[in-house]
Amino acid sequence: MNIHIFYCANCLDANAVRTIVGSDRDDQNNDTIKTVSLPCSGKVNLLYLLKAFEKGADNVLLVTCGQDECKFLEGNLRAKKRAQAVDTLLEEIGLGNGRMKVIQKSKEGIEQITAALEQIKKDFTQKQ
Amino acid sequence: MIVAERKTIPELVDILEGNKKILILGCGTCVTVCLAGGEREVSIISSALRIASKPRGLDFEIEELTIERQCDNVFIETAAEAIERNDVVLSLGCGAGVQAIAERFLDKPVYAGLNTAFIGILEERGLWTEKCGACGECVLSQYGGICPITRCAKHMLNGPCGGSREDRCEVRPDRPCAWQLIYQRLKGIGQLDRLKNIAPPKNWEPSLGGGCRVIVREDHRI
Repeated sequence: MNIHIFYCANCLDANAVRTIVGSDRDDQNNDTIKTVSLPCSGKVNLLYLLKAFEKGADNVLLVTCGQDECKFLEGNLRAKKRAQAVDTLLEEIGLGNGRMKVIQKSKEGIEQITAALEQIKKDFTQKQ
Repeated sequence: MIVAERKTIPELVDILEGNKKILILGCGTCVTVCLAGGEREVSIISSALRIASKPRGLDFEIEELTIERQCDNVFIETAAEAIERNDVVLSLGCGAGVQAIAERFLDKPVYAGLNTAFIGILEERGLWTEKCGACGECVLSQYGGICPITRCAKHMLNGPCGGSREDRCEVRPDRPCAWQLIYQRLKGIGQLDRLKNIAPPKNWEPSLGGGCRVIVREDHRI
């Protein structure tokens, strides 16, 4: 399974990303997780996300800052709308929706992101 | 500007099925501004088509190009080589652009990737509204710059119809009543007297009824 994670560098630092990827590594299943750092989640656009799917991603996870916590005020809101547009486009293409997930990082830490990754893997396995 | 929106990906796949080498040709003018057929949309649609073609075994080979203006032969020339080396062209220009390309390259299938919708403006971010019906005989000067043909759902030249609720159109409650806007505008510029004139039936001859319209400027021809 191939997962791409786009994340806002203001809500996740390199150590947190290493922890997330490391905790989810499962060599037996040949899972691949690719991470892409963004200066703000608002930098992401439809093409970034579509290219990830074109290059073979089964699922894409976009991690944004929490509500009202975006350093650039509305980058996380824009990112969420763009992710929704990609999800709609994927359904139009025939890949089904739900492959594009957005997580607004809460103050609790990275547990919700690792949990989301687990859920994505579980859903993917069930669909296979 | 001309406002258009993209056809759905399944529609585009149906149109392109059976072809291998495809040029997706964007236009850098109106359809770029309305986020339907500019350079970025060319990339997005190309990517979506590549993804969609794989499970169907079509494996499109897509080339991307955007020219300044598809409705002008000077700019079409810059795409000539790319058009020649591909089997078909999927034009993301307006209807005029698609036809201009098709007329220039007689042996090349040219398909429309967009539905050309109307002449309008960007009202706010991500929202375009129709402002002009290109009727061929403009009446804007009589109505304070607000077109009753386009913006009134009933195209009334002698309004209002009486069906509006507050300032909302009864046909489209999400839109303002055009005649309310005309009244406010004429009041604002001190020309309410214009509403006392009864407009005669409009001459529709310069409109689409007579077939393809042509304008000739002899002073620009040799």
